[in-house]
Amino acid sequence: MSVKKIAKKDFVEFVETLIRKERVFGVQAKGDRFDFAPLESAQDLRLDYDVTLQPPKKFFQPPAEVLMTFEVGGGYQSQYDDEPFVLLGVHPYDMVAINQMDELFSQDNYDTHYMTRRNNATIVACDVAKPSENVFASSMGTAVVKSGYDVLLTDIGDSYVCEAATEKGEKLMAAAKKAVPADDAALKSREAVWAKNKKGLNRHELKCDPAYLPKLLAKAYKHPVWEERAKTCFSCGSCNQVCPTCYCFNVQDDVNWDMKTGKRERAWDGCLLDGFTKVAGEHEFRKQRADRFRHRIYRKGMYVPEKIGGQIACVGCGRCVAACLPDIANPVAVYNRLIDDLGIG
Amino acid sequence: MSKPKIAIFDFACCEGCQLQIVNLEEELLDLLGGADVVEWREAMSEKCDEYDIAIIEGSITRLEDEERLKLIRSRAKILIALGACATIGGINKLKNNFDDLDEVKKCVYGKDANKPHLATQPTKAVDEVVQVDAYVHGCPIDRKEFTYIMRCLLMGKEPEIPEYPVCVECKAKGNPCLWEYGQVCLGPIIRAGCGARCPSNGFRCFGCRGYIDNPNVDAAKDVIDKFGLNIDDLKTKMVLFGSRQEPTIHG
Repeated sequence: MSVKKIAKKDFVEFVETLIRKERVFGVQAKGDRFDFAPLESAQDLRLDYDVTLQPPKKFFQPPAEVLMTFEVGGGYQSQYDDEPFVLLGVHPYDMVAINQMDELFSQDNYDTHYMTRRNNATIVACDVAKPSENVFASSMGTAVVKSGYDVLLTDIGDSYVCEAATEKGEKLMAAAKKAVPADDAALKSREAVWAKNKKGLNRHELKCDPAYLPKLLAKAYKHPVWEERAKTCFSCGSCNQVCPTCYCFNVQDDVNWDMKTGKRERAWDGCLLDGFTKVAGEHEFRKQRADRFRHRIYRKGMYVPEKIGGQIACVGCGRCVAACLPDIANPVAVYNRLIDDLGIG
Repeated sequence: MSKPKIAIFDFACCEGCQLQIVNLEEELLDLLGGADVVEWREAMSEKCDEYDIAIIEGSITRLEDEERLKLIRSRAKILIALGACATIGGINKLKNNFDDLDEVKKCVYGKDANKPHLATQPTKAVDEVVQVDAYVHGCPIDRKEFTYIMRCLLMGKEPEIPEYPVCVECKAKGNPCLWEYGQVCLGPIIRAGCGARCPSNGFRCFGCRGYIDNPNVDAAKDVIDKFGLNIDDLKTKMVLFGSRQEPTIHG
């Protein structure tokens, strides 16, 4: 696959042509923050963003979606969203999260709804140009990404290095008529960005190799940190909602006024929420805030890694740190506290 | 099977929640297709003492209203509390913050304060007087949620009302947190289901849907400190819809 270089002004032109042909979502300013939104003008694209309010998971697993329509006592019709789209400006840590979600949604019961959207997406990732206030991707080994994207952009000053990594990516970049093969200087600049980000996206520094986290958690289940932190937990699930690797959902049926037809919908859920573990007979197996608080940390550092070959399911985007009003959600603070108390090894 | 009979009654309120039912427009015809509305003062002149579902709007502020509500309860199979006044007592509970209700009455009604129909008591939510089978929260109610609840009840199914706070829906909408913009938003302790309508439009959550089942008031105090505010900044925001409801912030 090819690595090219394109001047920034030519890139804007390329995005303009892209918008005219395809359904494009890109990172844009939202007040004084940033978020992914339908892109109507190339001028609105902000690849210099620090972090988006929401992770890009909503394009594959929307906050709410109809899975199927049905007839009571009759048949059903699955509903799929299969319109192709281009996602512009996914940061490496978010790309790693999407790669993890792809594994999770394609294993066990293959999730056709998620995978249909995923297979219809062309993802243009971009290296971080400006670290956010709470990013710790360097600690989690997610500051740069090597797979999953169709195109990877790296800002090297007056131009972008664009690496097309898939057929889809090659096809997309073919429209960038003014792109030229990347020269050695450009590739060196890209290496320099990577080297810088591998160290510099680290506002919270994890005191161990992330690979050690499952072992750390194996001996931390009864540690007082869960109670201490959860004391001021609102159980508002903000940490879940903004997390690029939280994918739990709730499914509900809604019957229409005719009382015959209806739809089955699924919506984001969150393990911090009261009622998340409520089952038949009103039994709730994680009734206490501390149990739910601990569960999230274990999901990221132990349970999900067991399902995806040891990859840690916290990618260091720092969104939960920013979203948590009482400042208790920071996973690094929790892990470091455990390391201080329980040691490494 | 004949269609279930619905009757809508109002107590102390602005009748804005009933107005939301009138405003259902096309869906109102669906509701009328699924049920017979036999009494509804705001929209029709007929009256009826036989009904299956009673919808109660407003809070209960007089002894005679308590008696009337109890009679309605005895006639209805299902009783629904409609809107904040009915579900949590709503704004009408503000007066419960005063020790001397006679003073309050004089202040509000002036020379008419002693007229018999103004013999008011401390405000009660509907479930402080009779058993409530379903709650339609909000000031005003959310029309979509109301029709969802009605469909569930007509299906004989329990509606799923969020136990989680407004933050969930606010974050799902991609809103930045209003606390970071200097607003004392009640989202973290107030029941979701409104789709975070106020915060999505730049206004803090006023708390019209009432507290979640298990709000963390300790956390609220911490957050107040973090933003350099004092406890009164929070209490004054909670008083509008949260008066004399649990939990009350002390200190």
